[in-house]
Amino acid sequence: MKSLRTLLWLEHRRSWVWMASLLGSLAFWAWGIKQVRVMEVGERLGIRAGLLAMAAAVGVFVLCLMIGRIRAETRHGQYQVLLLTPPSGYTHVAARYLYAIGVALVYFITIGFLYWWIMALAGIHLDPTTLIELVLAVPFYAMCITVLPLLAWTLLLMVFISAYRVSGPGWVPGTVMLLGTPFVFRWLGEGIVRVSYSLPGWRLFANAPAALIERFGQPDPEAVLEIDRFLYLGVPLEPLLIMLALAAVMLVIAGRIWQEVEA
Amino acid sequence: MLARLQNVTKRYRTTEGVRDLSLDFPEGEIVGVLGLNGSGKSTMLKLIAGLLFPTAGTLTVFGGSARGNRSRTVFLGETDTLWPWMTPRDACRLMTGLYPDFEPHRFDELLDVLDVPRRKTKAMSKGERGRLRLAMALARSAKLYLLDEPLAGIDLLSREKILMSLVREWHTDETILLSTHEVAEAEGLFERAIYLRDGRLALDVPAEQLRQQGGSVVQTFKEVLA
Repeated sequence: MKSLRTLLWLEHRRSWVWMASLLGSLAFWAWGIKQVRVMEVGERLGIRAGLLAMAAAVGVFVLCLMIGRIRAETRHGQYQVLLLTPPSGYTHVAARYLYAIGVALVYFITIGFLYWWIMALAGIHLDPTTLIELVLAVPFYAMCITVLPLLAWTLLLMVFISAYRVSGPGWVPGTVMLLGTPFVFRWLGEGIVRVSYSLPGWRLFANAPAALIERFGQPDPEAVLEIDRFLYLGVPLEPLLIMLALAAVMLVIAGRIWQEVEA
Repeated sequence: MLARLQNVTKRYRTTEGVRDLSLDFPEGEIVGVLGLNGSGKSTMLKLIAGLLFPTAGTLTVFGGSARGNRSRTVFLGETDTLWPWMTPRDACRLMTGLYPDFEPHRFDELLDVLDVPRRKTKAMSKGERGRLRLAMALARSAKLYLLDEPLAGIDLLSREKILMSLVREWHTDETILLSTHEVAEAEGLFERAIYLRDGRLALDVPAEQLRQQGGSVVQTFKEVLA
C-alpha cells in the first residue's frame, strides 16, 4: 500500500499540470455554452448538449495522452528508474490507471453537472433522483464503456511499444496495434450489440419525461413510444460488463509486460 | 557470491553489447569497470541490475534472477533521470516510499556532504543533479552498487566530492562496480579492475597486483585497450 500511495503521489506530481488543464478547460466549455444564444429553446439546448459531448470526447483524448507518456519517459531515462523499483509492474500500472480514472471521474461528473445547468437554463427542472442519475449514474456508465477500456488500451499500447525498444524495432508492434485498433473496436462493438439486453437493462431517468413534458408539452406519439421503450428497457448492462472485463484483462497484460520490459 | 556471469552474451538488434562474459563478484570489493566507449560497460551493469536480459548465458544475482532481485541492487545509470520538478525533498519522499532500505537521515547527511542545493533539479547544474542522484543511491543500504559513469560530464570539484563520498560510505561487506572514463582520478579506489574491449573481457586483475608490478590501472588501461 505504501508503494502504491507513493506511486500515486508521483503520478500526481508528474501529471498535475495535465489534470489542472483538463479540469480548467471545463470553465472554457462553460463559457462557450453561455455564448450560444440561438432563440429557439430546444435548438439552443441541443447545441449546448452537443458542445458538452465534444468536451467529453476531448477529455477522453487528453486523458489518453496523459496516461500514455511512457515514450517520453523512456527517452529521458525515468522509465528506467521506475522499472528498477521494488513494486511490481502491476502496481505501477495500477497507480497510473487509478490516477487517470480519478481525474476522469471528476471531469465527467462535472460534465454531468454542466448538463444539469444547461437544462436549468432551458427551464427544465429535474427532481433529485434524476439529478443524481445525471451526475453520477450516466458518467459512471459512460466511463465504464469508453474511458476505462480506452485508457487501459493506451497503457497497454505504450508498455508494449517500450518492451520492444531495446532489442527489437519498436515501431512495428506499435504500428500494428494502432492500425488494428479500429478493426478491433468495430468487431467488439458488433459483438456487444449482438449480446445487448440478454440481461435486464439498467433503468434510468424514470422521472425525466415529466420534467420534459412540463417544459415542452406532450411530444408526438412516435417520440412517446421511443421514450417508453427506453424507460422500459433501460441501458444495456452487457457493454459495461464486457468493457470492464476487457479493461481488467488489458491492465493485467500491461502489468505483466512491464515486468519483462528492458530499458 | 553477489553476482555471477557465466558466458553471458547480450545481443541488440544488429550489434552485441557483451559477448561470452564470465565474471564473479564476491562481497566487499570496489571494482573498476573500464573500457572505451561501446566496450560493453553499461550493458554489463544493466544486465546485473536487471534492466536487460541476457540473450545467452547464465546470470545470477544474489543467487536468483537479476530482475527478481532488483530491490537489493542499487543502480545509478549514466543518463540524467530525475524529473525536472523534483527537489531533494521530493526525491527523499519517493525513495522512502519505494525502497524499504532507504535511510532518510543518511540521505540528508549525504546532501550536506555532497553540497546539493535544496531546489528543483531543473534549476540545478549537471554536477548538482549528479550529486543528488548519487546521494539517492548511496542512502540505500544495499550490498551491490552499480554505478555507471557517475563522474561523466561533472566538474572537477564535484567529481572529488563524489569519489570522497564513495570512500566514506563504503562498507567492507558491500561491493561497488564503478564504470568510469576518469580512470586516473578513481584509480585509488579500485581493488580490482575489469577491462572490456568490444564487449569481451580483455583483463580482470587485482589493482594491488598491478601496483606491485610497478604499474597502475591507468597504465594497464592504455596497454590493454590501445
